[in-house]
Amino acid sequence: MTLSRRDFLKLGTLVTASAALASCAPAFAYRKLTGDLPSVPWTAMNAQDFLALNRLTFGPRVEERTRFAEIGLQAYIEEQLAFDSINDFDCELLLSPFKTLKMDTDELEGISNQLFENYDREQVPNKLRQATLLRQLYSKRQLYEIMVEFWSDHFNIFIEKGNGFFLKTVDDREVIRKHALGSFRDLVWASAHSPAMLIYLDNQANEKSHPNENYARELMELHTLGVDGGYSQQDVMELARCLTGWNVKEHFWLGDFVFKEDIHDTGEKKVLGVTIQPAGQKEAEQVIEHLVTHPSTARFISNKLARRFIADDPPPALIEKATQTFLSTQGDIKSVLRVILLDGLPLAQPKYKRPANFILSALRMLNAETDAVALHDYLLRMGQLYFNWPTPDGYSDRSADWQGNLMPRWQFAFELIRNEIKDTKHNLTALLDISSTGILQDDVDALASLLLGIPIERVVRDELIASVQSAGATPEETLQIIAASLIASPAFQWR
Amino acid sequence: MLTQALPTWIPRLSFAPINTAPRGDTLVVIFLRGAADVLNMVVPHGEDAYYQLRPTLGIPRPDDSSTKKEERTVDLDGFFGLHPNMQSLLEAWQSEQLAIIHACGAPDESRSHFKAMELMERGVDDERGPASGWIGRHLATLNTGNSSPLRAVGMGTRPQRSLSGSVPVSALRSIADFHLGGDPRALQQMRTALNTVYENDIMGQDTLSMMDTLETLDPLTYTASRNAKYPDTEFGLALKQTAMLIKAEVGLEVSAIDVGGWDTHFAQGSTNGLMPNLMKDLADGLAAFHADMYDHMQQLTTVTMSEFGRRASENGSLGTDHGHGSMMMVLGGNVSGGKVHGEWLGLREGQLIGPGDLAVTTDYRDVLGEVITKRLNNPAVNEIFPGYEPKLRGILG
Repeated sequence: MTLSRRDFLKLGTLVTASAALASCAPAFAYRKLTGDLPSVPWTAMNAQDFLALNRLTFGPRVEERTRFAEIGLQAYIEEQLAFDSINDFDCELLLSPFKTLKMDTDELEGISNQLFENYDREQVPNKLRQATLLRQLYSKRQLYEIMVEFWSDHFNIFIEKGNGFFLKTVDDREVIRKHALGSFRDLVWASAHSPAMLIYLDNQANEKSHPNENYARELMELHTLGVDGGYSQQDVMELARCLTGWNVKEHFWLGDFVFKEDIHDTGEKKVLGVTIQPAGQKEAEQVIEHLVTHPSTARFISNKLARRFIADDPPPALIEKATQTFLSTQGDIKSVLRVILLDGLPLAQPKYKRPANFILSALRMLNAETDAVALHDYLLRMGQLYFNWPTPDGYSDRSADWQGNLMPRWQFAFELIRNEIKDTKHNLTALLDISSTGILQDDVDALASLLLGIPIERVVRDELIASVQSAGATPEETLQIIAASLIASPAFQWR
Repeated sequence: MLTQALPTWIPRLSFAPINTAPRGDTLVVIFLRGAADVLNMVVPHGEDAYYQLRPTLGIPRPDDSSTKKEERTVDLDGFFGLHPNMQSLLEAWQSEQLAIIHACGAPDESRSHFKAMELMERGVDDERGPASGWIGRHLATLNTGNSSPLRAVGMGTRPQRSLSGSVPVSALRSIADFHLGGDPRALQQMRTALNTVYENDIMGQDTLSMMDTLETLDPLTYTASRNAKYPDTEFGLALKQTAMLIKAEVGLEVSAIDVGGWDTHFAQGSTNGLMPNLMKDLADGLAAFHADMYDHMQQLTTVTMSEFGRRASENGSLGTDHGHGSMMMVLGGNVSGGKVHGEWLGLREGQLIGPGDLAVTTDYRDVLGEVITKRLNNPAVNEIFPGYEPKLRGILG
C-alpha cells in the first residue's frame, strides 16, 4: 500500500529513523532502556490501525507495532487498560534518581527553602517536567500516561502561582497519577483536597467574612458539570460558602491540607437545589458527591475524553453511550474509556498533534535516546511547556488551536535529525538497516513506513530525493534532509 | 480506507470574499485576558458609591489631599480619571487620539472566562453561530488585493481564536526566532525539501515566505521614532514588532496581542502591586506605540478589550471577583478622542446588576462594528457579527 502523491501532499507524511548511538549515549540507563535497536523489522501498517495506535501511544515504537499486529486492537486496548499488569521496571529504574517525585510536602518545602544558598525555584518543577516526558517516552503503559496527561489538563495547575511550584509534584503523584484510570469520584475528591489546587484557585483566601468564588466556580464549570451543566451564579456563591475554610497550612506542616473551622461559614446553604445543613468540612464533600454523579458531569467528561481520543467534534451517539456507561458505573474511568476506544476508534477523525505529542512521536518512532531536559525549550516555543498554562482550562485539545505555528516544529525536526539537541541522540542509519537494504530509495520507504505508517508513492519519493539532491546534498545529507522534512511535513503533524 | 484515515486538509478560502475594497487601517487588537478590573483603570471618582464599595482598593480622588499626589486618580473629565499608573496615556488623550468607552461589554452573563472569551472572540451571542473568529470573518469577507502571509498575525505561540477563519494567519512569538539555522547551503536544501512537502499547503508556504521576509528585521537593533521606549516586557515586544511590521510594509492588516494576568481575585493592589504593574505595562506600551507610530496614526486603529469586568465591590482577599461591565479603549488618528463614551448608569444599589456588577450599556460589537465599517472599509458587519446589528456610537470621527 502506498500513499498517492495527492494524499502525501495533503497530509504530510514522513519518516525518519534513529537508534542508539553507542559512542555518545547520554547515560547508561537510557541506553539500557532504549538503546537496543528493534529486534524485528517493521512493515507498513493499515492506515486505520496506524491511526488507532497513534491514539493509544505517544507515537508507536516498532515493538508496539509488532505487539498490535500480534494481538489486534481489542486485546491491545485491554492490555493497556490493565496497566498495572504491564511490567514497567525499566522505566521505573530510569526514574529512580528523581528523588523529588517521591517526596512529601515537608521534604519538598525543605529543599525549596528560599533561604538556602544556590536556591533554584525551577529545580522541583523542572524535575517533574523531565520525569513526565521520560515516562511518556519510555513507559510501556502508554495509555495510562496519556490519561495522566489528559487529567493534568483537566485539573490544570499553573506551577508558577504561589507554592504550586513544589506542591504540584505532590498533586501529580497523589491526585493525577493515583487515580488516572480509577474512579472519577476519587479523582475529584483528591483534587479538591489537594493544596496545589486550592492555592492555584485562591481557595486559601475563601473565608466566611469575604468569600472567594474562584475554586467553587471552576469545580463546577471545568472539573465536573461543564459551563452549560445547569448551575447558576447563585450556586457558585453557595458552593463557595461551603468551601470556606478549605485551606492550606502555612507554618508547621506548611503545604498540607487543613480545614479551618474558624473561617468557615456555618450558615445553611443551597447548592443545585439541595439544602446543605451546617456540617463543616462535610458540606462541600456532600456537594462533591453530588457533582461527580451528575448527568451533566457524565456527559461533559465523556465528551472531553472522546475529543481527546476520537475527534474534535465526536459523534453524538458515542458520547451518549459513554455517558450512560459513566452513569451506570458511577464514573469508572476504565469502563468509559473502553467504550470510547472500542466504539470510537473506528470512527476516529484526524487530530492535529499537540506540541508535546509531535516531539514525543518523533523521538519514539526514531528510537532516539534523550534525558528530555533540552525538550523544555522547544515545548515553550511551541506553546506547551508542561504545567505552564496559566488558566484553569488546561492546554487546548482542539486541532485548530495548534495549527499555524510551524516554525518551531521545523526547527525541532532539523535539529533532531542533525543530532544537535543536547543529550538527545538517534542513529538513523543503524535503525534503517533493520528494515531497508541501504539503498536510498529503500531507506526513504522504510522511513515513511515508520513515521507515517506507509511508504510514500514512488513518484513522489523520487521527486523529493531529486529535489534535495539538486540543491547540492550528498547522499548522506539527502537521507537526513528527507528524514527531517518528513517529520516537518504536514502529514506528520496529524495523529 | 486509506483516505479516511488521512487528515483531511482544512479547507481554506472556502468562499470567495464578498466585498472588494482598498485596505483600510491596520487594526491592532489587544485582549486583556482574565477580566480586567476596569473600575480601577478608568476610575469613576465622581461616584461616592465607588469609594463605599472599595474602601481598600479604591483609587483616591484627584483632589484627595489626605493621600500622596502620585497615588491619586488622574482626572480626565471631572468624573472619570485614569489610574496613576496609566498616566502615560494622557498625551494621547490630550491630542484627542484616545477614546474610552466605559460600561462596555457582551450580553453573556456566565461570568466564565472561557465561555465569555470564546463568545467574544467568535463575536456571537451563544453556542450557535459560526465557530470562526470575528477578525477571521472580517478578513474572509473583504478582498483588499493583499495576499501577504502577514496579513493577519497573532503575537504569541499560537493565533488567537478571534483570528480563526478561512484565511491563513500566522503566530509570531518573535521575529528573531524565525529562522531555520544552518549554513546557506544546508538552508537551501532544507528550504527545497520543505517546499516540496508543503507544495499545496497554504500554511506551510506562508511560513516559508514569512521566513524570507523576517530575515531582514531585528527587534534588538530597531530604533523607534520620537524616542519612544517600549516596556521591556512581552507586551512591549509584541507592540514593537507590530510597529516594525507596519513600517516594513509587509502587508499587515491585523495584529492580535494578548496580555494575561488580569484575573485578580487576590491581593490585586490599589496603587501598587500586581494589577498596577499590569496597568503600567499596558499604558506605557500603548503610549510608546502611539509615539513611535505617530506619523502612521491616520492609517492605524488600536483597540483594547477584555472578556468582562469585575465586581464593583472588593472581596475579602483584597481582590475582586468576576463581574460584568467592562471598558474599551480605542487609539488612532481618526477617533473621537479625549472623551469617555458610553452611558454610565452608576454603581449604587439598583444601578448594579446580578451580584453587584456594572451594567453593560454599550455592546462591544458597537465599537468593533464602527471600526470595521468606518476604518477597515468592510460593510459586511452582519457576516462578522451574525444576529447582531451594531449601532454607531460616534466613537470614530
